[in-house]
Amino acid sequence: MSDIFSFNGSPNAGWSQPDPILSDSEVLETIPSSMLRSIPPAWPRASEPELVRHYTWLSKRNFGIDTGFYPLGSCTMKHNPRVNERIVNLPGIDRMHPLQPEHQIQGILSIFYEMQEMLAICSGMDQVTLQPVAGAQGEFTAIRCIQEYHRERGEGHRNKVIVPDSAHGTNPASASMCGYEIIEIPSAEDGRIDLEALQSVVGEDTAAMMITNPSTLGVFEPDIARASEMVHSAGGQMYYDGANFNAIIGKTDPGLMGFDAVHYNLHKTFSQPHGGGGPGSGPIGVKEHLSKYLPSPIASRREISEDDPEGVGDGYWYNWVAPEKTIGKVQQWHGNAGAVIRCWAFYRRYGRELERMSEHAVLNANYLRFKIMNPDPDVLTKIHAMPLDGAPTDFVMHEFTLSMIDMKNKVGVTGKDIAKRLLDYGVMAPTLYFPMIVPECLMIEPTETESKEVLDKFAKDFLTILTEDPDIIKGAPYTTDVSRVDEVWAARNLILRHPGNNSEDN
Amino acid sequence: MDQLPNLGREQEMLSIMGLNSMDELFSNIPEDVRRKKPLPLPPPQSEEEIWRDAQHLLGSNIDLDSRPSFLSAGLSRNFVPTMVGMLATRGEFLTSYTPYQAEVSQGMLQAMWEFQTMISELVNLPISNVSMYDASTSAAEAITCAVRVHNKKATQKDTIYVSELVPPHRMSVIKNYVQGSGINLHTLKHDENGHLDIDNASIAHGSCAVYVEQPNSFGILDEGLLNLKDKIGDNTALIVGVDAVSLGLVSPPGDWGADIVVGEGQPFGIGPTFGGPIYGIFACTEKYIRQMPGRIVGQTYDTNEKKAFTLTLSTREQHIRRHRATSNICSNETLIALMGAMHMSLLGPEGITVLAKRVAASTEATRKALSSIDGVELIHPKSSIFRDFAIKIPGDSEEAVLFMDSKGVIAGLPMGLWWESHSSSILIGCDERTSESDISSLVSAIKEWIKEVKN
Repeated sequence: MSDIFSFNGSPNAGWSQPDPILSDSEVLETIPSSMLRSIPPAWPRASEPELVRHYTWLSKRNFGIDTGFYPLGSCTMKHNPRVNERIVNLPGIDRMHPLQPEHQIQGILSIFYEMQEMLAICSGMDQVTLQPVAGAQGEFTAIRCIQEYHRERGEGHRNKVIVPDSAHGTNPASASMCGYEIIEIPSAEDGRIDLEALQSVVGEDTAAMMITNPSTLGVFEPDIARASEMVHSAGGQMYYDGANFNAIIGKTDPGLMGFDAVHYNLHKTFSQPHGGGGPGSGPIGVKEHLSKYLPSPIASRREISEDDPEGVGDGYWYNWVAPEKTIGKVQQWHGNAGAVIRCWAFYRRYGRELERMSEHAVLNANYLRFKIMNPDPDVLTKIHAMPLDGAPTDFVMHEFTLSMIDMKNKVGVTGKDIAKRLLDYGVMAPTLYFPMIVPECLMIEPTETESKEVLDKFAKDFLTILTEDPDIIKGAPYTTDVSRVDEVWAARNLILRHPGNNSEDN
Repeated sequence: MDQLPNLGREQEMLSIMGLNSMDELFSNIPEDVRRKKPLPLPPPQSEEEIWRDAQHLLGSNIDLDSRPSFLSAGLSRNFVPTMVGMLATRGEFLTSYTPYQAEVSQGMLQAMWEFQTMISELVNLPISNVSMYDASTSAAEAITCAVRVHNKKATQKDTIYVSELVPPHRMSVIKNYVQGSGINLHTLKHDENGHLDIDNASIAHGSCAVYVEQPNSFGILDEGLLNLKDKIGDNTALIVGVDAVSLGLVSPPGDWGADIVVGEGQPFGIGPTFGGPIYGIFACTEKYIRQMPGRIVGQTYDTNEKKAFTLTLSTREQHIRRHRATSNICSNETLIALMGAMHMSLLGPEGITVLAKRVAASTEATRKALSSIDGVELIHPKSSIFRDFAIKIPGDSEEAVLFMDSKGVIAGLPMGLWWESHSSSILIGCDERTSESDISSLVSAIKEWIKEVKN
């Protein structure tokens, strides 16, 4: 195999750039010789043609939504419209500095303001900040605001955050980083919040409860308003993990459910491409009583006056404001502005019809679940063991979970084996082994941007796998660039970088 | 709404499920939490209309490339090779998720393993992760990481020392990140040359970590830092924040005892982009490997003994370790790191050296030109600098910058925005693209303003 370090040609073949505006000696005499670097970094020496070949080759060894169906539960891998990429290449965002004065950034500020307003409207919150750059950072930011709220009210002794056992790992991790003790409560048999378990842990030490709704099982919590009441009456705050916001826009909102704070995963719901692991964007919205703690600054506006320059032509002058008791900064600038602008472009495509997006996400999930759980009789007879519903419910929201425990017990095929075998059918595997409360879990989220034909084919292929020779499934995948990868070897040997240009490497 | 392939086929799909209406699918949402009214938002737009509005709104901004610009303060007005954007936005990279399924993600995994190597080479430390959000969160998480590693043996428990010149936005991020762990944050003083008071630095001996920046927020390259590790000892982590480009010219912190190096990766790979998405560099020695934040790619083999790559050391991470995780980070800035790797590969060892010299040359040429102006005072005339330097002017710097803006020059950062005591200072930022003509525009604008104030 080839690696970038194998391109190590003549220094003269590399990318060219203009000369410094002073001579070498003029530059070098400004820096003490003890501080000068003796050996430059052993980076590759790739010419442009070599670079293009290498990364094109790598891209062909990578699976994206553009490649095929990507039903990765909880990650909302929907199509990424490309006009959004075109927009962020405009100099009015790409060549902008976050410390430029307000009169130079009216366009960006107006988009920020529009996004803050739109997110507040869709979530039933009063104020939004776009600063957090990922969902986890949104969680952290909101919990920090809640922490300051309690402290200011003289209730700094509230030191516990409650999370259901089905929560995303980031929830307990974020609260823990703020210094909170985590109380994990078990879900009820059907995957819902166990109100009795909740009642037994809420109290005067409760700072907040963090929960996602629909839950990670893809099920809407019917008792959510009751849970909010219980936490509020104990003096705690309700935090909404927006990972599954894609399912509910226009149908309900966290404000109606009684939440005080929410984060939005713009890279999920509003289609910021996830780029192999990021960037993301994790704005948060809060109710009025928390808004003065939000990170600074926030976009605001006033009607334009005669003395003002023209602005963007909508009759408003946009400006930054600092919330009164701000927690300060969580990212050093104004968040992932490029992501926010992509998501603005995405939102504009739906406008008031965002509800259709959620409807189709839910339609597709239910349809796919139906097709998998209701095989043709002739297929059913050949299947070793049918999956079990992760949550027995008539309808799911935007995603659903399947337990492959019967396959495991009957023929020794695990959820992971099935996930790997799906790769051979040209699709991405679902999320594996999450939530942890479902044994041998596969979590499937088709999103709204997949056609009926894609869903039909996935259901057919999935069911076909359940009929295959167990040994075949266990040996999968076969058609991928590499066969099953040894993760244990990687963790034991920790080869975390290229050995360098001078060493022999296979 | 051209993003919904099943639009108009709802009934067909519903009837296969034996349903009549879309509403049935939402029947689990109790009546009392249902939204009753439509969203008060504008109607949907076509791609063409969105593009038109984007051009109008973003076109009303004044970008750094449209005029001579000296605003840096932690970001670079760089030039990114054209191929970087073109290759990184190939759909297979752009539209992939975190590579949980290694067998179909070898491309991104290998690219990130190569990125780790390039960062490791750049700072001269053996381990790098695949990026943090930005330089500030890298610094903050380096500190909490160091506390976890060193607290047991520390004689100053739960205690860290941070340079007093860390810019306020970064200090704020650090405070937000460390407050929950009950960490005591002390500051380290600098002298009138902007150098760390190195004799005083031994007060940090026995604490968990020291965080300094090279160059610091005034652009100063501090020779004294080369001896800092000796002052604080083995059991205190030396964490250094760097200007990544400067390492083409100046000695990498790994050479002078740094345990963790953090910094802003943005100059490699992406424009200043209003401050995000950018990416934080995080590199360290082996000692921190099990306590470090973020994703890490390791080399391994597949079942056919073929070389392969996979995410590794996941047991540190939130999806496994939950509240005991080393960090809550999940999404990072992989795509921007990928762009960085491409940019670094094109530069090569010679290219980074030239790039660093270009920045140093621009900085020196600009400083020289400004220092000759009557009324302009260099705040640290004796110090070595890189990219940024501070000047003092006779008047309010925010007003001066606005005046120069009206003359078509973005003159830098009015430092009063950072520290009130610096309300008549401007932080002048230079970069590889600063030209002689930019410098003369700045010089004329400052002269004009000084003339204005004197009258």
